[in-house]
Amino acid sequence: MEIIERLSAGDPEKKKYYIRLFLDTLEPELENLRGADIASNQEPIRAILHKLKSQVQTIGAREAHAIMAQHEQRIKEGGQIDQAQLDEVCRLLSELIDNMQEQLK
Amino acid sequence: MSKHLKIALVDDDIPNTEVLRDFLIRNGYSHVDKYHDGESFLESLDRFDERAVVLDFDLSGGGDLNGLEVLEAVKERSPSTHVVFFSGQDSLEVAVESLKNGADDYIVKSNAAFALVKTSLDKVYDIQILRLNERRSQRISWLMAIGWMATIAGIALYFAGR
Repeated sequence: MEIIERLSAGDPEKKKYYIRLFLDTLEPELENLRGADIASNQEPIRAILHKLKSQVQTIGAREAHAIMAQHEQRIKEGGQIDQAQLDEVCRLLSELIDNMQEQLK
Repeated sequence: MSKHLKIALVDDDIPNTEVLRDFLIRNGYSHVDKYHDGESFLESLDRFDERAVVLDFDLSGGGDLNGLEVLEAVKERSPSTHVVFFSGQDSLEVAVESLKNGADDYIVKSNAAFALVKTSLDKVYDIQILRLNERRSQRISWLMAIGWMATIAGIALYFAGR
């Protein structure tokens, strides 16, 4: 969260504002990923991964970013990801959200 | 110091656009507009638009147009508008396509991306200042030439009247 730390410049309210801003997107998209039908067209999953990839990068979640970028690329090239891979993305995202919610307290 | 360069951010990624906007404001750019789809941005564009545009490629979360289509429309309506492509697509094809269509820069969203966007806009700002100074010195040259001509005409009239 280096960029958020820098922009909020020690102002805890500003930091919370940025965290909420990202949570507003991350939380519903996590639910969308959990409910995604892995067996059918994976384009909606790719679109979510593309959207979230930049956001988790700004937040500084490097592992989640790398995995999302890798899966997005695979689907874009006509491949598919399996349930275990999707579950791993959801787990990383869920941990990130928990961590962010912790910082709001 | 406040930099008088107007900027339009066109990106469907709401939190990142907000953070980038604050980052640019913190770095001296006081006038930064946000648009979350290509359509609303194009509605705001006029023929003599002086804004520099930071444009995302994948705008599917906003409207129907993608970044390349918005770029095409911008260049058609306002060819001198400076466009920085800012994309999550780390793809050579998209980069080449956008540069061929008139984008002035192509930045892949990464950890250092905000700083790279700022550097790109700083260059636009520097060019704008150079052009402004050039116009000013041209104006001064004209005024000096008129002054000299008036002086010479005055001297000539003085001697003609003697």
